[in-house]
Amino acid sequence: MEEDRLWKFRRPEWLNSVWARNAGVYAAGGLFSLAFFTLLDSAVWSKSGFNGSALHVTFVDWLPFIFSSLGMLIINSVEKARLSADSFSYSGSGVAWKARVVLFLGFAALAGGMAGGVTVFVLKFAVPGVPFPALTMGIENLVANALVGLSSVVLWVSQNMEDEYSYNLSL
Amino acid sequence: MPTAGLKTIIALSFVLAVGFLLVILSCALWHSYYPLLVVATYILAPVPNWICGHCANPDDFVESSGAAVLDLGRFFTGFLVVMGIALPVLLAHSNLISTPAMVMSIIGGLLIYGTIISFAMFFQEEQDF
Repeated sequence: MEEDRLWKFRRPEWLNSVWARNAGVYAAGGLFSLAFFTLLDSAVWSKSGFNGSALHVTFVDWLPFIFSSLGMLIINSVEKARLSADSFSYSGSGVAWKARVVLFLGFAALAGGMAGGVTVFVLKFAVPGVPFPALTMGIENLVANALVGLSSVVLWVSQNMEDEYSYNLSL
Repeated sequence: MPTAGLKTIIALSFVLAVGFLLVILSCALWHSYYPLLVVATYILAPVPNWICGHCANPDDFVESSGAAVLDLGRFFTGFLVVMGIALPVLLAHSNLISTPAMVMSIIGGLLIYGTIISFAMFFQEEQDF
């Protein structure tokens, strides 16, 4: 186990505990909630009396978030243990290959959602030169997509912790 | 795990009453009943954990699907807990409720959720084994 370690710095011991893993999953849910409500805030604010401009949040602003969430769902639904199951192990009929294809689609959807958020921000808010109180809607769109990415990273890391934990327990 | 006596129950119910008082005051003082959603959120928050805890077999380490179901429940519980804080902030940002109402409903919601969590912690012992 110690011989095939790749990195110089070893992971601290407390990261392998059940407590840290559960906290990571809760934090991922909280981050996703923050992302959703940041976007919802921009939609509600655009219909409120504060919004003096003619710009409003439409379905186009929601589309990047839908794509990022779909990517997050795909990424975290794949069984991580099948990724390392290469040709020598019991994974018949190319499970590792399928897992890589599905993971690629998930990451493409996540990155596409983030890029779509930047596109909406540039085309709808930055290029027409929207003044500041209305510009908040575009910035909130960017923040929401970044938070979805962060949430899926946290969820991924804590699920990988879970593998180490169950490995230690099964020995 | 501390033993739950009569004093614990009285203190918890007192805290729960104070939490409900704050949320209802934040609604009634400004005649805008949106903060009641916070109460619904925090009452719903332990439900995904509870349902998924009954669906999964946590002792099953060979097949990790049980842990995945537990993680799904935790994810939605985290979602709902942060929603209880984010919802009043959202409503106050769009002037649907005022800022004092936001502060009161957040504090009241956290008191209600803290009561639910500590109640579950104190009385969980009897369920296992």
